[in-house]
Amino acid sequence: MSRRRLALVAVAAGALAGGALAAALAFSTGGSSKPASAPVGAARVAAMLEGIPQQGTELGSRRAPVTLVEFADPQCPYCGDWARVALPVIVRDYVRPGKVRIVFSGMHFVGPESETALRAALAAAAQNRFWNVLELLYENQGTENSGWVSDTLLRSIGDAVPGLGAKTVIDGQRSAAVERLLAASDALAQQAGVQSTPTFALGRTGSKLAFVNVPSLDASGIEPAIDAALKQ
Amino acid sequence: MSERRLQETIAVLAILGAGIAGYLTVAHVTHTPVACVRSGGCETVQHSAYSELWGIPVAAIGLAGYLLIAVSSRRRTDPARVAGAAAALAGLVFAAYLVYVQVGVIHAVCQWCMASDVVVALLVVATFLRISRSAAPR
Repeated sequence: MSRRRLALVAVAAGALAGGALAAALAFSTGGSSKPASAPVGAARVAAMLEGIPQQGTELGSRRAPVTLVEFADPQCPYCGDWARVALPVIVRDYVRPGKVRIVFSGMHFVGPESETALRAALAAAAQNRFWNVLELLYENQGTENSGWVSDTLLRSIGDAVPGLGAKTVIDGQRSAAVERLLAASDALAQQAGVQSTPTFALGRTGSKLAFVNVPSLDASGIEPAIDAALKQ
Repeated sequence: MSERRLQETIAVLAILGAGIAGYLTVAHVTHTPVACVRSGGCETVQHSAYSELWGIPVAAIGLAGYLLIAVSSRRRTDPARVAGAAAALAGLVFAAYLVYVQVGVIHAVCQWCMASDVVVALLVVATFLRISRSAAPR
């Protein structure tokens, strides 16, 4: 066989094999097909979090002068209200400009679906997509322990978050990393003596944080405390 | 460059690529953090839905490809030359898709993967040069 023909055979075989591998990976991750139904709020959450750094359960720059710790349960309705009403404003005005970093400390006392939801969000933490999953859970929050934290919802959330995929959210719930994160947030809530959700602790980054009394679940309930911490 | 020199170059590049792919495979299987200059990028890629194909780490597929190229570089037969070039080109096509995934879908870049991409691109050049420089059949 001529050298030219050998090269052509190699090109054909290589292009075919490489293309087949790429297509198989795209297909296996759902990249070639749309999820059956997108979760509520997918576009809004994606836009809110676009470009903001995430590290595990942290949202915002680690160099932010103020740190806000949120103790919350994915099933708690008041936490859902805060996530949907206050958080977008706090993210826009404080987190995106690099003034505040938010650390989520998950709790799961409302019922078994709290733990399932929290585990699903923590499974995305390794890919720094925790907040995308958490906020989509709040956007789609149902009645406590009514079966709303279904595999169908979790799959649609996983598929709706760019680069995540349903597999990670479903299969990752029992990983060693998730167990570690869950144990750490349990220990932090217990150590802080948190009794209800949502509870907030605020202060200068690196210094001792203090609990904040939040009189309302819109942004105005916490903005004065953030502004005061920023002036310190 | 003679075919002999090209064979040596291909072997060195393939071993280098196998080292990178092997490191990423071990890190993925043992859930060990990958040493990465820009924090988070490698971890994000390594834990993404695109890091496995049917349960097999994508890095392990790369490792198998590099080993195939290394073995083919030692034999002076047409099937070995074609196998090496085809494997390198398949790796480059797959790598191009993975670059698109990193930049356009995951929005995180793994420097180890990029280093592997450079190696596989060099291997495509070397393996096809080898075919063109090999002795014509009598």
